[in-house]
Amino acid sequence: MKLLSYITLILIGVACSSDKDNYVPIENEKLEFTVPANFPEPSYDITLNPPTQKGFELGKKLFYEGQLASDGVIACGFCHIQDFAFTHHTHIVSHGVGGALGTRNAQPLHNMAFMKEFTWDGAAIHLDLQPIIPITAEVEMNETFNNVIKKLEAQPEYVKLFAEAFEDQKINSDNMLKAISQFMIMMISANTKYDKIERNEGSVFTENEAAGFELFKSKCASCHQGTLFTDQTYRNNGLPVDLQYNDIGRKRVTGEETDIYKFKVPSLRNIELTFPYMHDGRFKTLDDVLNHYSDGMVDSETIDPILKNEDGSLGIPMTTQEKLLIIAFLKTLTDDDFVNDNRFSEF
Amino acid sequence: MKNIIILFAFLVVISCKNDDEGATKTFGNIELNFNNSIDNTPIVLEETSYTNKSNETYTISELKYIISNIVLIKANKEEFKYPVADSYFVINEAKSESKKITLNSIPEGEYTKIRFGFGVDQSKYPFESGTANFIPTAEENQMLWNWAAGYKFIKFEGMYTANGGSNTDFLIHVGSHGTTLDNYQEITLELPSALTIEKSKSPEIVINVDIAKIFDGINTLSLEQKNSIQVDPVYAPKVAENISTMFSTGVSN
Repeated sequence: MKLLSYITLILIGVACSSDKDNYVPIENEKLEFTVPANFPEPSYDITLNPPTQKGFELGKKLFYEGQLASDGVIACGFCHIQDFAFTHHTHIVSHGVGGALGTRNAQPLHNMAFMKEFTWDGAAIHLDLQPIIPITAEVEMNETFNNVIKKLEAQPEYVKLFAEAFEDQKINSDNMLKAISQFMIMMISANTKYDKIERNEGSVFTENEAAGFELFKSKCASCHQGTLFTDQTYRNNGLPVDLQYNDIGRKRVTGEETDIYKFKVPSLRNIELTFPYMHDGRFKTLDDVLNHYSDGMVDSETIDPILKNEDGSLGIPMTTQEKLLIIAFLKTLTDDDFVNDNRFSEF
Repeated sequence: MKNIIILFAFLVVISCKNDDEGATKTFGNIELNFNNSIDNTPIVLEETSYTNKSNETYTISELKYIISNIVLIKANKEEFKYPVADSYFVINEAKSESKKITLNSIPEGEYTKIRFGFGVDQSKYPFESGTANFIPTAEENQMLWNWAAGYKFIKFEGMYTANGGSNTDFLIHVGSHGTTLDNYQEITLELPSALTIEKSKSPEIVINVDIAKIFDGINTLSLEQKNSIQVDPVYAPKVAENISTMFSTGVSN
């Protein structure tokens, strides 16, 4: 019986060998993409790029691959460090090849599958396309896709990994971007104290955290909305314009004067770890951030109307004590499991 | 035991089936020939001067644009959609080979219309598999922005003088941006006569592209008024609208 099976297997092989001589079916397990119970539906269409074990591994290797940059050093993971929820720890603006300085603070990477647009101004409208920006920007990785593909093709390890991860087995930009996305969409951070409370998993807020949450809901949650802690809009939060950068924000993407100095409302998940804060990393601490919201705003044409009070004053009134409570609450958004998750670590 | 043998034999047959498909269909090729001109004058980069309706004289240093999503249509409205992933091209005036696009494996038949896109359709991109493989081509032609994950649908640059003034640069880069500014255009053209696709023939479709329309199409655009159009919610859509009128089919020589 066993012999017969072998014969028929050989027959199948022979009968189809015409142009698929090199094709060897590979075990490539599908990864389970599970939406946390307290999360909305993902924006990313998982069915168009379902994550697999091999695709994920390839994406992770690419994420930490210095060859994606012209100097062979600056990988995605250089500015997106896991310990700090994939931000560039303590760096005000991101650093690129040859010591080049960007103009913006590297944003954290987590729950990317749930985001509709990417970067501080929404210059990428799909996760698969976002890496085009850092890879090709002169002040970031300063490389071309043509070169990256050549460099990857020269490494047998990548030839093997691409062949295992994708049906067409090719090293090309489509597969490269899909693999990176597979890695990123699996980076779900949903195991904070806040989540465990929201999902009734037995945790409880301390008195201060609970008071902070109440204050947060009334003072912050209109923009930092829902369980993702962002409504994914672009707003001017009254930061004085830093003339060194004169970053026009969302206007760069839309060309609209009404979008000048507007930036994406960031998620506040893991906010304790992702300092410094704001699009240009100007604030070192959460204290500084809340002091800005209470007393630091400057008026401008596009300042968000929600930040203007009835008496014409600007800002969100908060006492020192209230700020402490809000910060206590914000610290319940730190996900230790996520920053220590070996699946996402370089080594 | 017998059942198993039959089952295996069946498997052998099934597993080879797709190799035989297509044997009954016949395919041919088409060559698309993009012929850029201004008021029926061929374009000579850097040298020849042209005049627009705002009485501005200009020379062109660079002219590139993206063509995509090519569809051939029969008289009975039956459509043949060229594989999307292979359907993105940069037409570069400076490279004659880029102005001839060969489309392979077109099912035989008589086609009466052609439809194609100007630029990259954000509503589809990058969702149709393989479309991101256009990135290296776009990159080689400097048709990528590096601050945004998007394409310049057209890169049109040169110098102009208005009213005897001095020579000034002009620059027109139009693309789609974010979710608010969509400048992708779909163009449908009647073929001058029905085109028969058959095996081992490569008929040509000449597509005349009247670049003058960029300034003087549906909208009249004056360089004096605006000589740099990039991410521009007012002027970029006007350019795109003008571009939608600049293509026509011609008779091959």
